[in-house]
Amino acid sequence: MRNLLPFLLLGAMPGMLMAQPDAEQILRKIDKQMVTESAEATATMVITNRRGRETRITSRSWSKGENTSLVEYLSPAREKGVKMLRLEDVLWMYTPQADRVIQISGHMLRQSVSGSDLSYEDMVDNGKLLDLYDAAVVGEEIFMDRACYVLRLRAKEGSDEVTYAQRKVWVDKTRYLPLKEERYAKNGTTLLKNFEIRSVQKIGNRWYPKEMYFKDVLAKGQGTLYIIDDIKFDVTIPEYMFTKAALRE
Amino acid sequence: MFRFLMKGMLRDRHRSLLPSIVVAMGVLLTVFMFCYMKGIFDDFFNNAAMYDSGHVKITSRAYYAEKDVLPNDLALEDGPGLMEMLRSEYPDLQWSERVKFGGLLDAFDENRETRAQVGAGGIGIDFFGPDTAEQNRWNLRAGLQEGTLPQKPGDILMGKTLAGQMHLSVEDDVTLISSTVNGSMVLNNFHVSGIIYFGTPPLDKGVFLADINDVKAMLDMGDWSSEILGYFNSSHYDDLQAEALTMEFNAAKSDSTDRFSPLMTPMLDDAGLREYFGYASKAGSIMSFIMIFAMGIVLWNTGLMGAIRRYGEMGLRLAVGESKGHVYRSLIVESLGVALMGTIVGTIFGLGFSYWLQEVGFDIGSMMGDSQMLMPTIIRAHITPAAFYIGFFPGVFATLLGAGLSGLRIFKRDTASLFKELET
Amino acid sequence: MILFKLAWRNLVGAGLRTWLNVLVLAMAFILMIWGKGVVDGMAYQLNDAMTNIEFGKGGQIWHSEYDAMDPLTIEDSHAAYPEEVNTLIAAHTAAPILIRQGTIYPDGRMQTIKVKGIHPEQEVMDLPTDQIVKGATGLTPALIGQKMADKSGLEVGDLLTVRWRDAKGTFDAREVEIVHIMNTVVQTVDRNQIWIPLDELQEMSNLQGEATVIALDDPFEGVPASAAWVYRDLDFLMKDMNDMIKSKNFGGNVMYGILFAIALLAIFDTQVLAIFRRKKEMGTLMALGFTRAKVIGLFTIEGSMHGLIAFAVGFILGSPLFYLMTTKGYAIPGGMDDYGMALGNVIYGRYGPDLLIGTTFILFLTVVLVSYLPTRKISKLTPTDALRGK
Repeated sequence: MRNLLPFLLLGAMPGMLMAQPDAEQILRKIDKQMVTESAEATATMVITNRRGRETRITSRSWSKGENTSLVEYLSPAREKGVKMLRLEDVLWMYTPQADRVIQISGHMLRQSVSGSDLSYEDMVDNGKLLDLYDAAVVGEEIFMDRACYVLRLRAKEGSDEVTYAQRKVWVDKTRYLPLKEERYAKNGTTLLKNFEIRSVQKIGNRWYPKEMYFKDVLAKGQGTLYIIDDIKFDVTIPEYMFTKAALRE
Repeated sequence: MFRFLMKGMLRDRHRSLLPSIVVAMGVLLTVFMFCYMKGIFDDFFNNAAMYDSGHVKITSRAYYAEKDVLPNDLALEDGPGLMEMLRSEYPDLQWSERVKFGGLLDAFDENRETRAQVGAGGIGIDFFGPDTAEQNRWNLRAGLQEGTLPQKPGDILMGKTLAGQMHLSVEDDVTLISSTVNGSMVLNNFHVSGIIYFGTPPLDKGVFLADINDVKAMLDMGDWSSEILGYFNSSHYDDLQAEALTMEFNAAKSDSTDRFSPLMTPMLDDAGLREYFGYASKAGSIMSFIMIFAMGIVLWNTGLMGAIRRYGEMGLRLAVGESKGHVYRSLIVESLGVALMGTIVGTIFGLGFSYWLQEVGFDIGSMMGDSQMLMPTIIRAHITPAAFYIGFFPGVFATLLGAGLSGLRIFKRDTASLFKELET
Repeated sequence: MILFKLAWRNLVGAGLRTWLNVLVLAMAFILMIWGKGVVDGMAYQLNDAMTNIEFGKGGQIWHSEYDAMDPLTIEDSHAAYPEEVNTLIAAHTAAPILIRQGTIYPDGRMQTIKVKGIHPEQEVMDLPTDQIVKGATGLTPALIGQKMADKSGLEVGDLLTVRWRDAKGTFDAREVEIVHIMNTVVQTVDRNQIWIPLDELQEMSNLQGEATVIALDDPFEGVPASAAWVYRDLDFLMKDMNDMIKSKNFGGNVMYGILFAIALLAIFDTQVLAIFRRKKEMGTLMALGFTRAKVIGLFTIEGSMHGLIAFAVGFILGSPLFYLMTTKGYAIPGGMDDYGMALGNVIYGRYGPDLLIGTTFILFLTVVLVSYLPTRKISKLTPTDALRGK
């Protein structure tokens, strides 16, 4: 028996390696799917307010890299023409009614967008998970009929400006999309936000979310649905679009 | 007899003028004190009614539960319908809509770049309605320091200190950053048409007034109403009336199972002033009573002495054959004349001073500095109907009582001893 | 001396008239002292509550960015304690307080609050911080005020999730256990806030050794060495309250003025009549060898004696009232703290020697003056005319 032990261990090792693929690899694959070099998209946000009524807000957005993006609201009518520009850590907002470009700073960044379960920060978040988190595979589960790895993400030591210090992520084993996420506070036990990908779409050879669901767990409410109606990747966007001056044009 | 007495009074200045002046002074003090106390008391509660609570306020049940955070998203639906119903079914009150909201005011330079940002509170009031009473209620014309009252949509009035802090002057534009009832961030430009001095530091420091229709449009409220304020025509709060109205309205129009059904609240409950109101009215009554009582003693004293010092004369009159009753009656009639004259003059002057203090007011703002208390810095008197007759209690009754009591000695003493008093 | 005796006899002889005047004067006297004592007592209580509970007797040192009225300043208002206070903190004569913004969700409704960290063993502020000790759950203990508890529906033993951001902007959350609910009249330590141990808040927000304000037992001398800190003395901190007291005082002073006028009217009235009526008496006195000055003196003393008797009566009648006001106080239903004043349900009057002596002195002086003024007529009197009553 004693001789057998190393043997068994040897035999088991490759199996263990296969059951627990490199978490970093998984993150890299998620980032490859989710983080875009440049994209142009049309999306609809479905928000249910405190009176139980539904509002739909559609917007068109352009993004480049991790820190540059522009969103323009298309409907409802009173929001039409409102633009938000993110340049690095600064968010600018423009409304045609006031013809003003105003910086949204500090506390305002943390307010919810249009009464949804998303903050302005969440909206402009396009960072790579790999840069921000250390990951470990903690299990495998079936979620929404898809086989998933379950990952535990912890913010890297010394990484700056991570909104959620820990996340638990259910990653589709074949499509590498984070189908479900639980976002935790720094203490690791208080669940703050739930995120789900409710349906997916294939654009070229890339899987991308189609319907996403956000829910602020501590607050009462129905949660917010975010639907990507149309998206194009690797588009060329003129540089001037991402300038403050262009907002007023 | 009356003519005789009149002649006597007019010729003997000591018999008429001095007592009259004393009575007049006493009555003046009483009337002025009464109006002054009434003014302080009413101002405190009128302030609460005018700026915040109305005499009664109608909101949705859900809004009322969270009213501290101005939950305009929980407002009443169909505001115009409600207003129409209120005006036809409760015509005894003046109804006005208000919307309170918060936001950041952003002043900008010629390049439309942010120059200054300050957190501020806005109140949407009905500036332009065909029969709006709000301009008078807020006493806007009197408080206007510069510029004009709003003339067109988009015009606002800014608190004096707030405008100063942001270096805004009349004709400037300013952007408000706020969020709509749907939670969307909204930027809205307003035009400063006037700078106003409310005389209440927290308002001067942090409040601007905009037209309610602009505000509703900005906050995307459609025809919702956050707060509908009702004011009794008398313009002073009557708690019994407010309570009765509230009971009746809530029984008829409010549904405790529907969070969005209207709920009426009397001012004292809305502002949390019920206990204080009871306490203050009691304290006020006691103070008035003590003052009137003290003044009564003084004037009684006057009446008393007016009679005492004439015992000698009475003795003489009794000696020449006047009946005691006749002497006594003439004494009473005479002191009634003095008392009435003094009281009327005193009341006129008392009302005059009070009127001055009511209309002009006395600004103690410089003493108050930048207080955060929602407290008027202008002290005003308030003339009520009672002020017209309050002076008669000490002025006429007390004086007559004094004269009457001391005159009774006419009956007690014999002619000789009264006559003798002439000698001393 | 003879003048005093004469005056006294005249007064007693006048009977009812004298007593009426005395009564009016005494009432005015009692009312003035009573009212002034209530306002003084109120001011003292407010002052006492705010210095002991809200600020600390020596004022506070504030982070230079901090503005108590502007919650937007909280985020950046923190720095390492100023060096000068380290020994004071060790000696418990200074209490560092760190203020951070947090969010709680009572009943699923988001509510922004201030999370204040303070050393449980501090002795500068009169708050029951010694109650902030871990309970059975071992969670972070929190102290809240009664109004906060009422508004958010919290009770002792309740667990409350508090969410906040650390200095880097990362969300953190923690369950705290409500271990004590304090009853305080000072709203600024009650509404929309929770108090937890300073060490835990520093650790939670990653701000070890930092604070927003430092409450002091003794006034700070000079200027803090670090530009990050500014000393705020009690005059600065209590400005609002002092302004309010001033306005109360103004209102009160008008009332005193009116009371004064009533009292003086009574004396004036008596004097004028007396001088008119008692000319023969004056003539007789002069005939007996009184100089005019002496006659004037006699009448002035007579008038002024009203005042003296009134003070005696006032003290006798007023003492039980003042005593009750000082010991039992004056109950206000519901208390004033709801209206932003740090006053409890009971206002205690304060009748210090300066108030009693001051009021007596001023009133007496005026009584003497009013008694004297009408007597000046006497100086024009000739004894022969006076004797005939002219």
